[in-house]
Amino acid sequence: MKSCINKVGLFVFVLALFTSCSEDVSEDYVDLPDLENRLLAGGDTTIFLTSSNAFSTPAANLNGSDLDMHLDGDFQFEAAFVTAPADVNEGIGPIFNNTSCISCHPKDGRAPFPDNLNSLSGFFLRSSIPGQDVNGGPVPAPGFGLQIQNQAIFGYEPEAKFQVNYTTIVETLADGTEITLQKPDYTLIDTYVAAPSNILLSPRLAPPVFGLGLLEAIPESEILMYQDVDDIDQDGISGKANYVFDVVSGTTQIGRFGWKANTATILEQCAGAYLHDMGITNSLFSQETGFGQTNGSDGLADDPELTEEILNQVVFYCQTLAVPAPRDIEDDSVRRGAQLFEDLQCASCHVPSMTTSSNTISAISNQTIYAYSDMLLHDMGEGLADNRPDYLANGSEWKTRPLWGIGLTQVVNGHTDFLHDGRAKNITEAILWHGGEAENAKSMFKDLTTDQREDLLNFVNSL
Amino acid sequence: MKKSTLFLSLITLSLAGFTSCSDNDASSETTDPNASVYSEVLTDLSIDVITETYNSLYTNAVALETAAGNLTIGDESALDAVKTAWQNTRAPWEKSEGFLYGPVDTDGIDPAIDSWPVDVNAIDNILSSNNEITSTLLESNNEARGFHTIEYFVWGLEGNKTASELTTRELEYLVAATQNLKSKTQELYYGWLSSEGDFASNFVNAGESGSIYTSQKGALEEIVEGLVIIADEVANGKIEEPLNGNNGGPKPEAEESRFSNNSKLDFANNIRSIQNIYLGDYNGNNGNGITNVVALTNTTLDTEITTAISAAILAIEAIPGTFTDAIVNNRTAVENAQTKVAELLVVLESDLTPFITGL
Repeated sequence: MKSCINKVGLFVFVLALFTSCSEDVSEDYVDLPDLENRLLAGGDTTIFLTSSNAFSTPAANLNGSDLDMHLDGDFQFEAAFVTAPADVNEGIGPIFNNTSCISCHPKDGRAPFPDNLNSLSGFFLRSSIPGQDVNGGPVPAPGFGLQIQNQAIFGYEPEAKFQVNYTTIVETLADGTEITLQKPDYTLIDTYVAAPSNILLSPRLAPPVFGLGLLEAIPESEILMYQDVDDIDQDGISGKANYVFDVVSGTTQIGRFGWKANTATILEQCAGAYLHDMGITNSLFSQETGFGQTNGSDGLADDPELTEEILNQVVFYCQTLAVPAPRDIEDDSVRRGAQLFEDLQCASCHVPSMTTSSNTISAISNQTIYAYSDMLLHDMGEGLADNRPDYLANGSEWKTRPLWGIGLTQVVNGHTDFLHDGRAKNITEAILWHGGEAENAKSMFKDLTTDQREDLLNFVNSL
Repeated sequence: MKKSTLFLSLITLSLAGFTSCSDNDASSETTDPNASVYSEVLTDLSIDVITETYNSLYTNAVALETAAGNLTIGDESALDAVKTAWQNTRAPWEKSEGFLYGPVDTDGIDPAIDSWPVDVNAIDNILSSNNEITSTLLESNNEARGFHTIEYFVWGLEGNKTASELTTRELEYLVAATQNLKSKTQELYYGWLSSEGDFASNFVNAGESGSIYTSQKGALEEIVEGLVIIADEVANGKIEEPLNGNNGGPKPEAEESRFSNNSKLDFANNIRSIQNIYLGDYNGNNGNGITNVVALTNTTLDTEITTAISAAILAIEAIPGTFTDAIVNNRTAVENAQTKVAELLVVLESDLTPFITGL
């Protein structure tokens, strides 16, 4: 009798799972994916905010001393630097792109594409000339380095100003909707010296900085499981890890950060940003970004301008920002969208889940996360190509962007400018920019019915 | 057997009805019985408190520009008028720091008007250059424009500047900086104004399509988080850094409005920003605020919050003399003010926030 009740109970439960909401379910997808287990997108770091603070909150599981360190980093992340010598925050420039971390990563989120390309913003151009340096990385453009600084302290000349022109691409969807994409073409004007004629330029817009510690803690072996350089499984999608020179260890390491995965660690990413974005020398990079250039030296023997303590605080801050939870995961449209996300092979690169290994920071140790990235490089086609190689990333390869939090971009940052330079003005446009390995996925997206497309967008916006 | 199958399917139906379907439809169709209260609160706060605070900011920035335009070398009373106009403009800005979301952030206005520290070298280099000093010239120099740059010109590094010490170039710079501040505050005010950028509509229409807030509760959470953030900033940043920033000792250079000795007023106005949002009051208009939501079900918490707000303002105002002096010579009074703000922070963070989240 007892066992019979148990069976009945189980039966009811199973029935409920399979039949609930059946009247809402589209005929194609009777078994909608259960997204409940993806609620903790950042594992135990996850926070449940839907406000403008959704990207800028400490991990929910930080212990007391880690929270103190995080808050110190928060303070430094907002610090604006000024011309040296000064009592507080000295050392900006002489050439730079912006004056604080937060000014490029507003609310720890995504910078908007600037109305004025030469105002202070989260936008800049990377630069190099063809070839590889001794470590396999890009060769700095003579006189300009690896990044164009379009600002300078008073009395100094910026390396250049930026200019953009657009050509139009029209995409037509199956239901007749026409989407007009603007393809940007960037050039340098007002250069302080003539730029090399073979200079390679690639645009960048500052991405969100939450969840980075979790991405750093994913075991290399787990990332490599998804690698399929020669497309042996013949699904049209390869996936390749970037291997880059790591300044700290002096060795080659898997690249995880940056739009082309050209940086191995958050430490190097932060130290590089201090130097190249702000002109703040530090323990990793002790020479001014314009060293040897006529506009590059401040003439002061004050390097490194940043203390080791502050650098470590900011690194820790970026490692320990919480990931916001997805919303509406029980919504049928969102669940149908999740199924489409699988069916269209979006999930082949935007791999939903990975697991972190144990880490010195306990908050990010051994967490199952839902970042929606395989951390690998993919050929994204001619439309997105920057034709500027960066280590193993060729001129048309980009790292799969994590999608977590993407639906909160509007409320946090007041815009939806996506992709590496913000050329996509919403998620639909971002999908339509996909090509290369994602060409097939894009075609299937274009063939969706209006309702299906809405389901897919609802899913992406639930993240 | 038949009977039991029917029984089973009945249970199944009722289970299904109670679980998975409910969320999807309930959120859009069932309305919170207090939705009309939330609606009044969100409307009053966004239009009558927030937008109106920015209106004051812009209006007073216009007066500051005029005052700067009237200033001549050696005219001490005109300099006093500029100081007063700066303080009048500073007050609504500080009273707006409890709501640093929307255009003030997404349009980059906060760094453009309230960057700190001031880049004294940049200012000196601009002054000694041959450039005409205009509002446009200052656009790419966040640390050499805005409130603190104007403050630097009007009060000087030691707070004792006289009109006779002013130079022609400084006057040119001052006028340009006040023009720039005026245009930025106009952009901010217009960003919220219903007839312009209408950011306020996100609150007025929260939960409806077109609003960035998918629910009224979400909009209320944004507002309450804003209160927590500024209470935290005052207690653990603005007071803490100058008081203890030098290994537990005073760090005077970390004080924000030290040229003008306006810091105490800045801090008190930050707390008044919390008060205005909590009560729904601004400039003589008594509207609905967060209090109207809290008092529906928890009058004890409501009283606790209003009491903590008043105590924090009182304690800040009770610091004797200037803040610069007090962090050295009246540390107990500063510590007391910090404690009262921290107590306010605790009630906002640990009681009000879960209350709103639980609506």
